[in-house]
Amino acid sequence: MLFEFDADQRLWQDSVRRAVAKECPPALVRAVADEAADPGPLWRAWNRLGWTELTAPGEAVELAIVLEELGRAADPTPYLATMTQFAPLAPGDHRPGVAGAAVLDGVTARPDGGGWLLDGTAPHVLDGDRADRLAVVTGAGVFTVPAEAVTATRVPAFDPLLHVAEVTFDGVLVTTADATGADTGPDTDTAERTDERTDERADTRTSAGINANSRAGTSVGADVRTGANFSAGTDAGTITGTGGGTDVRTAADVRTAAGIGTGTSAGVDVCIGAGIGGGVSAGSSYARDLALTGMAVTMVGACRRVLDLTLEHVRSRHQFGAPIGSYQAVKHKAADMHVAVRRARALAYYAALTIAAGDPRRGTAATMAKAAAGECQSVVFRNGLQLFGAMGFTWENDVQFALKRAKAGELMLGGAAEHRARLAAEHLAGGRPTGDPLAGGRPGAGRPPVTDGGERHAAHL
Amino acid sequence: MRLTFDGDVESFRAEFAAFLAEHAPDGAEAAERSRSSAHVPEWARRWQRLLFDTGWLLPGNPPEYGGRNATLLQQYVHLEELARRRIYHSYNPQGLGIVAASLLSFGTEEQKRRWAVPILRAEITAALGMSEPGAGSDLAGLRTRAVLDGDHFVVNGQKVWTSGAHDADVLLTFVRTDPDAPKHKGISVLLVPTATPGVTRRPFGSIAGADDLDFNEVFFEDARVPAANLLGDLNDGWRVATGSLGHERTLLWLSFAARLEELAEDFRPVTPLDRDAYATLLMDAQALRLLGSEALARADRGEQDVAALSVLKLLGSEAVQAASERALEAAGPGALAHPATTAPHAHLHLEAFAAGWFERYARSFAGTIAGGTSEIQRTIIAERLLGLPRK
Ligand SMILES: Cc1cc2nc3c(=O)[nH]c(=O)nc-3n(C[C@H](O)[C@H](O)[C@H](O)COP(=O)(O)OP(=O)(O)OC[C@H]3O[C@@H](n4cnc5c(N)ncnc54)[C@H](O)[C@@H]3O)c2cc1C
Repeated sequence: MLFEFDADQRLWQDSVRRAVAKECPPALVRAVADEAADPGPLWRAWNRLGWTELTAPGEAVELAIVLEELGRAADPTPYLATMTQFAPLAPGDHRPGVAGAAVLDGVTARPDGGGWLLDGTAPHVLDGDRADRLAVVTGAGVFTVPAEAVTATRVPAFDPLLHVAEVTFDGVLVTTADATGADTGPDTDTAERTDERTDERADTRTSAGINANSRAGTSVGADVRTGANFSAGTDAGTITGTGGGTDVRTAADVRTAAGIGTGTSAGVDVCIGAGIGGGVSAGSSYARDLALTGMAVTMVGACRRVLDLTLEHVRSRHQFGAPIGSYQAVKHKAADMHVAVRRARALAYYAALTIAAGDPRRGTAATMAKAAAGECQSVVFRNGLQLFGAMGFTWENDVQFALKRAKAGELMLGGAAEHRARLAAEHLAGGRPTGDPLAGGRPGAGRPPVTDGGERHAAHL
Repeated sequence: MRLTFDGDVESFRAEFAAFLAEHAPDGAEAAERSRSSAHVPEWARRWQRLLFDTGWLLPGNPPEYGGRNATLLQQYVHLEELARRRIYHSYNPQGLGIVAASLLSFGTEEQKRRWAVPILRAEITAALGMSEPGAGSDLAGLRTRAVLDGDHFVVNGQKVWTSGAHDADVLLTFVRTDPDAPKHKGISVLLVPTATPGVTRRPFGSIAGADDLDFNEVFFEDARVPAANLLGDLNDGWRVATGSLGHERTLLWLSFAARLEELAEDFRPVTPLDRDAYATLLMDAQALRLLGSEALARADRGEQDVAALSVLKLLGSEAVQAASERALEAAGPGALAHPATTAPHAHLHLEAFAAGWFERYARSFAGTIAGGTSEIQRTIIAERLLGLPRK
């Protein structure tokens, strides 16, 4: 493994950085927060630059590079929701320039004639109030609807740049024509593929509806918690490959299959529940993995910004006759922030790389990425705000935007603790050797280990 | 960015794996344990010599020094294959990794022939004499004195923590040769045979047992060392110190990655908190590999960034420690037993993983103390990577 940007990726990063510096300077972000300036022109700039066309799985690293820079800049547009939540759930529907959002829970589908009626309320939909189109995950599959079909109300948020909305579906009629056929299930195609870069969207578009979610039969917890809003008999014909007549699925099942926790307790629980029963890739899907990775890399970008601003501050602020950055207590906090950022960034790009390569470790990598980003923001928020002193406690200081962006990411799509639980469950269920640790399960099993004290090798001095 | 190596690296790996399958010593052969970091049992000497002769010892070296001019990435997979099998290429790690490496970087041809080759072939073993009672983190504060007297240096002073010195044939000894120069500029390096009159070694127990003898105090009383044993130029020892350590550290993180992967196999989480720590361990292991491979790619292009390696050392050593602590506490009262609860191993078995969890956790502090403490690493990161002002 060579975990380094190649020459093209470095060029891409440079050009993204230049564009962000030009189009999205701190003054613009400030104006959006303070004067409700319209981020519309900025959204059009991202479109003009072609950044909303980065939807092929093979471009996941390039997309991640954009997201990291936008996370740094506290981008006030709906880019993240559109590209990493809506687009993968609506592969046939995404169009450059069209803002999208994803409704991951709270909506049920009731059969009605040849289609379904969608009902329910999702309380915290990222960019739900300013999306042109919404992808909605239901027990009958993923559908897309235009914004006019729903009622969306922006919820006042602590982060002044963040758009979260309460989105209500009140008898919205959809048909198979609105079904996206998004990949929301454990992705065996991916698991079997080696490292060829094919367009995964093509695969998922041709697969039959959301049949993959029938494999979410392991999601017992989901069924219990969310109850049966939707019965199997009624969706026959649209969902293939389901089991017997007892098949009762809810939106939570699909989320389970999609593996996307939503931050509500039910969503999170089913997200974790999926991992316990399954193998390493249980719950992995392109939509889930991209959403988690996108959020993680955005958080990493925001954390880098906090670190940069903190370093600037501790170099210039003097107390007791010296820059506060010369005090070791301050240095060590900064060093811990740096290590946390490096770790989280490595895991975030690793997740992007596994998506791009169609690597079977994709699901695990996305879980790790989101968990590590969560751990990182915790260290960075705590140390960063502390080192600013009262200066960081003000509205005028721009560090607030990056701090809030980083912390907000932790609150969406499941937090670090939830993802760690999932990771441990997957790994411990995944054929790890049991019994005496010396008894086998590694190369050379059966042969007593021949070594002389790892710590000597770990620490030569 | 790529998830796989090029074919030449993978075929190199396969070739070495095949070699190991055929030649790696089995348990019966390897029954005698190494009891200190410079004690190499007879079987391990044969093993190391075989590796030397076949060019598998340090593949990055030229053939005359136990290698085959392998690339850095090939060296990486070589170590990976060894770690996967929990086997080492040498049971005298300081001798191979630091003393011989320093000799190859800074030694004369005669010194390489006289000292480096025998160390590499496990004919003799070596230990590293840097630290002193008054010079730990502040290594440049060392005071052991060496005065040139004709064609000999006369050495007086004391070293401490000198791992394996009592079993070693030669000590790479850092001495002060110019007490009037600024402290980094008056240091030289001498190869001191342990049989030299005036050299006394006193091994002492570690936290793992009064009879776990690796640490030594070494006393020098008018020890006369041939001037030909000076490594590098007079008063240029700091360059040797940073050079050999820098060389060493390019791949040092790998041993922490290996330790983490062993922990992931051995740690049995019980409670939700254990499982949480277990997940952190998996993430640390993965992150360390990713960051390490990034450092490797840079080094492969000839960009040496020693300060960046501090991130790897800090992350790796602290991750091992945190996971070991959790594994210890998860083991409960069973972990009170010493030496081993996991297998019926004899008391002097030094395998970190074969030891009980209590011992494993205690030994994890070697990682956060030796080779630059975690605090020193944080300061290096802050000053050299983040540009914060020195005091
Ligand atoms: C298992 C083991 C094997 C070893 N083997 C060898 C060997 O073979 N040869 C050899 O020469 N040495 C060896 N050492 C010694 C090792 O190099 C030293 O322990 C190390 O350099 C630290 O020095 P010290 O122990 O004197 O601690 P000190 O330097 O006294 O440090 C004690 C504490 O103070 C902190 N501290 C010190 N200075 C600062 C500062 N400026 N800022 C903040 N905190 C500070 C440290 O971080 C640490 O927490 C070994 C040590 C161990 C543990």
